[in-house]
Amino acid sequence: MAQLSTKIKLYAAANGVASVDFSSDVMLQDDSNGKGAYIKEWNLDIAKPTDTQLASYETAATTTEANNVVIATRKAAYGSWESQLEEIYDNGIDSWKARIAQVKTDNPKS
Amino acid sequence: MAITKIQSESLNLSDTYDFTGTVTGAGGVNTPAFEAYITGGDQAITHDTSTKVTFNAKVYDTNSDFNTSTNRFTPTVAGRYLVYTDINCQADIAQLNRFTVEIRKNGSSNKYLSNYFNNNPARISHLSVCQAIDMNGSSDYLEIWVKLEYASSGNLFVTNGSARSGFGAYKIIT
Repeated sequence: MAQLSTKIKLYAAANGVASVDFSSDVMLQDDSNGKGAYIKEWNLDIAKPTDTQLASYETAATTTEANNVVIATRKAAYGSWESQLEEIYDNGIDSWKARIAQVKTDNPKS
Repeated sequence: MAITKIQSESLNLSDTYDFTGTVTGAGGVNTPAFEAYITGGDQAITHDTSTKVTFNAKVYDTNSDFNTSTNRFTPTVAGRYLVYTDINCQADIAQLNRFTVEIRKNGSSNKYLSNYFNNNPARISHLSVCQAIDMNGSSDYLEIWVKLEYASSGNLFVTNGSARSGFGAYKIIT
């Protein structure tokens, strides 16, 4: 099941809100009583989503989270900016482009 | 005892006393006191969600004031308590970006501390929060809450074990 925060970000984006701060815009809470996370505070100007509205983003949120894993994997494989600059300087940009392309191929997004 | 130590039916408080017997009925005790911890596995925490920490085992609890079902400390004696918590948290990969621990009294945040890794995420982090808090000895209760944020993905946990994550308090003699 996708994270509640991911579904809220997608709902917000679909309603014209580009980013959500979960320390001020929306406060999520889990009382550790087996009922899971819920919206404790909603401070965005758009309407607070219903459970049904949030559920409609389940598939998209799952895809987003899967892609976030891919992005993190790619980022680790790319290496730091410094090491990539050295790589370009030492081996040329074509070699660097080939390696980056291979990382992308090996770690495809959904 | 030299008679100079007693002045007008009271003790000379500026004098020095060297007792060799047992003194009772003086001073006070640091109870109620308790310490609890997490056992049986790490507690999974949902990303960007304030979550109550489930301390489900106790090292000691002098007055049975800590409830492992509600994870609340509700002292039965009024007074000022030194409250402390140590929380060790981790991400299954190095993705921990923000980590907040708070002491909540009656559901409201009383004190909180955070670690923020500014998108240079860590795998493991630790925070200790300590505060003296006045409790009414009947309805006032304390809980520990955490909020963890990953950088882009991953699973987040509060680490179990009495040597890792704990919550305790004891009454201060005032």
